[in-house]
Amino acid sequence: MTVFLHLFDNPWIGIAAGTGALMGFVTVNALWLIWLERKVSARMQRRYGPTEVGPFGLLQTVADMLKLIGKELITPDHVHRPLYLIAPVLVFAPLVALLSLLPIDADWVFHDFDIALVLLLAFSGLNVIGIFAAGWGSNNKYALLGAVRAVAQNISYEIPLLLAVIPIVLMTRSLSLHEIASAQAYPFILVQPLAFIIYFISATAETNRAPFDIPEAESELIAGFHTEYSGMRFGAFFLAEFTNMVIVCAVATILFLGGWKGPLLPGWLWFFIKVYGLIVVMMIFRWTFPRLRFDQLMTFAWAILVPLALVNLLVTIVVLKL
Amino acid sequence: MTPLAPSMQLVPDEQDSETYYLNMGPQHPSTHGVLRLRLHLEGERILGVEPVIGYGHRAHEKMAENRDYLQFLPNTSRIDYLSGMIYNLGYCQAIEKAMQIEVPERAEYIRIICGEMNRISSHLLWFGTYLLDLGGFTPFLYAFDDREKILDILDSVTGSRLTYSYGRFGGVCMDVDDTFLRAVADFCDYFAKRIEEYHKLVTHNVIFRHRTKGVGVMGADLELDYAVTGPCLRAAGVARDVRKDEPYGIYERFDFDVVTAEGGDCLARHMVRMGEMEQSLKIIGQAVRNIPDGPVMAAKVPKRIRPPEGEHYFACESGRGHFGMYFRSDGTDVPVRMKLRTPSFVHVSTMPVVLPGTMLADTVAILGSIDIVIPEIDR
Amino acid sequence: MDTLRQTLTGAWSLLVGMKVTLSHVLRKPVTSQYPRERIEMTQAYRNVIRLIEIDEIGSHDCIDCQACVRVCPSDCIKVEGERPEGMRKKRATLFEVEFALCSECGLCLDVCPTDTLGYSREYDQAGFKRSDFLYDLLHEWAPMEEGVREKLRAEEAVKAAAKKAAAEAKAAKAVTEAAATEAASGYDDTAEAPEA
Repeated sequence: MTVFLHLFDNPWIGIAAGTGALMGFVTVNALWLIWLERKVSARMQRRYGPTEVGPFGLLQTVADMLKLIGKELITPDHVHRPLYLIAPVLVFAPLVALLSLLPIDADWVFHDFDIALVLLLAFSGLNVIGIFAAGWGSNNKYALLGAVRAVAQNISYEIPLLLAVIPIVLMTRSLSLHEIASAQAYPFILVQPLAFIIYFISATAETNRAPFDIPEAESELIAGFHTEYSGMRFGAFFLAEFTNMVIVCAVATILFLGGWKGPLLPGWLWFFIKVYGLIVVMMIFRWTFPRLRFDQLMTFAWAILVPLALVNLLVTIVVLKL
Repeated sequence: MTPLAPSMQLVPDEQDSETYYLNMGPQHPSTHGVLRLRLHLEGERILGVEPVIGYGHRAHEKMAENRDYLQFLPNTSRIDYLSGMIYNLGYCQAIEKAMQIEVPERAEYIRIICGEMNRISSHLLWFGTYLLDLGGFTPFLYAFDDREKILDILDSVTGSRLTYSYGRFGGVCMDVDDTFLRAVADFCDYFAKRIEEYHKLVTHNVIFRHRTKGVGVMGADLELDYAVTGPCLRAAGVARDVRKDEPYGIYERFDFDVVTAEGGDCLARHMVRMGEMEQSLKIIGQAVRNIPDGPVMAAKVPKRIRPPEGEHYFACESGRGHFGMYFRSDGTDVPVRMKLRTPSFVHVSTMPVVLPGTMLADTVAILGSIDIVIPEIDR
Repeated sequence: MDTLRQTLTGAWSLLVGMKVTLSHVLRKPVTSQYPRERIEMTQAYRNVIRLIEIDEIGSHDCIDCQACVRVCPSDCIKVEGERPEGMRKKRATLFEVEFALCSECGLCLDVCPTDTLGYSREYDQAGFKRSDFLYDLLHEWAPMEEGVREKLRAEEAVKAAAKKAAAEAKAAKAVTEAAATEAASGYDDTAEAPEA
């Protein structure tokens, strides 16, 4: 599958088709992941999860999505309309764009950017603007508290994320995801276990998943920054969260687990197995651990993760120089 | 324009632009019922708290004035629905103490077993919902699975799962058989292992410890000033338990410890409650081994319950603390006044002292750790 | 170094916690798939009350004593009765329970003098209106009511006859005993009173 842009004569049709394919992937991915989450959490809690709709409850999420689409889009009177309406789009759109950067197999990528990694980290920051717009525009104390916490959390955890990725870049001397994955004769997790752990924890915090789900802390703030959203607008936040999970786990696979490399099975299958395996680990985190308090979360990022990441970086530099 | 009552003020005064009021309203996932906390916040720090209660007022004490003593029995289970059996049996014991009715031995042992099972189920529910407030969703389901076992056992003998009307004046209304005793013994063995799992999953968990250690410290002086009782008091190091200080029933015959902890913070309260569950298992084990045969209802129970004129008071140890029943009788079927001293009412009144200075996330942790049941506050 | 040690202990505790939750994946789920699996209620289970058959009578034995009505804390029982022709015992003609008010305390069962009240085995009642929960307990016993009354009347007649016969026998016995005492003492009470 070569780059979509060259498949069609008219580049605009190419872009439209590509975007359509990406949106299709986002939707199918969300359907499958929500089902997976419900099943994994149910089994950990000794219950069954969805079983009624479709075989093994696979169509349950379809039913939920249909319900969500059919809900009335209530816009409360007191909101700041421009911000309130643009927020779901701001949260959702950068992530769809990022999906196009991920190489799924040795020659399956939408567009092989040579600074893909930088682009990824940059676009993750746009996520924060969307969350803050949602919280501020909602004109609601709970939403504002959630948004403020989300902004602080996301910005803080971007630093360890970056610092954990830099050793890999130094090792492969490239910022292109495709090249990094190709350069792994052995998975880099074997030589950079600490970087992987730091990256994974920071990634969990970036996606606002428990134990870092303060922004949407259900038991404290009702629903955090998306309190005032209903129907498909809430669905947009939901989809964004699951897409973000796929993106960060895909980056983790590419950087640390060898991307599409693996014996016997085709490359893209290995890729997806690794990505969804990491997502299952994220789900186990969510359902096992309680939530960190906000200041403890910040202390953890700045006082523990950042020094560890710096130490790791230093050791990598020293070893590489030798 | 008439000034609003203080609890209705939701916008700060003119000169105050740094702080704001937040309503942790009657509908909230973490206030364990319909409790309204009017928080005065600056950023994330709490400056003042005002609990607004009364959303669940059902007029139990007024109902007591219109019903005779036997008819009030079902109400007692519903005051604190988590310790329904303990309250029920305590009410029966209050009337028996006033009327000098002798309860047969077997009934006393059955009362101890059922009361302690109820205490375990109450603490289990606290454990599950406390973790739910803190964000860990799974221990909630484990705790409720264990609680189902207790409820099934009690269901097999009383017929109800939550609001037992099991006690009667002079004993209990239905006898237990060997299947019940075997089920109780099996549950004790099973649960001892479960407590170990809970310690591994929760108590040693670093995130849990960070959320609860040093949070919401209630010193012994503060607690004694406010008449706090139960696990909250014992977590500050004060060993006071109604079962040891003013024993009722046959509690003197049982060998159990009063579990205390040092520090008075949320972690200490957690440890005290886990320890209490273990002590309850010990008591139940002794009761199951030593239960005698015999009748479960006193032979001579007056047809009409007319306690002697005057004031009567009886206290028992519920899951939350010292539960006191005071009633004044004028020799007729119907009490003149029944006052229920519920521990949660007292504990909520310490919130304006304990909460200021903490962060918003801590509010939830502290409120959960003092284990209040709102129907008990509002009665 | 202390921080490092704390971090490592903390990380280890997280792993132990994950092991506990993962071990639960291997255990069988505890959900019972209601409504496909009907749940068995225990013997003592309390639900709406019903009238139980008393063996000697072959039907319920509610005698309209109003004890359950008086003791109910929620005032949800309504009983009316009559004394049928030729019977000394009363029979209930109306027995309604407003189950929406019932608190399932079991006090009515305790005070019933004939032990004719018991619990029913239903547990999943549902309705659309409040009147769906107005239970008529005599509904199941209505067809056989006449027969039962006949039977009771007959029993009572037999008992009354037996009692009357016993009373007559006792009276006759008393008379014969008195006559025997008279004969033994030689006192002739048929003689006229001596002339004064």
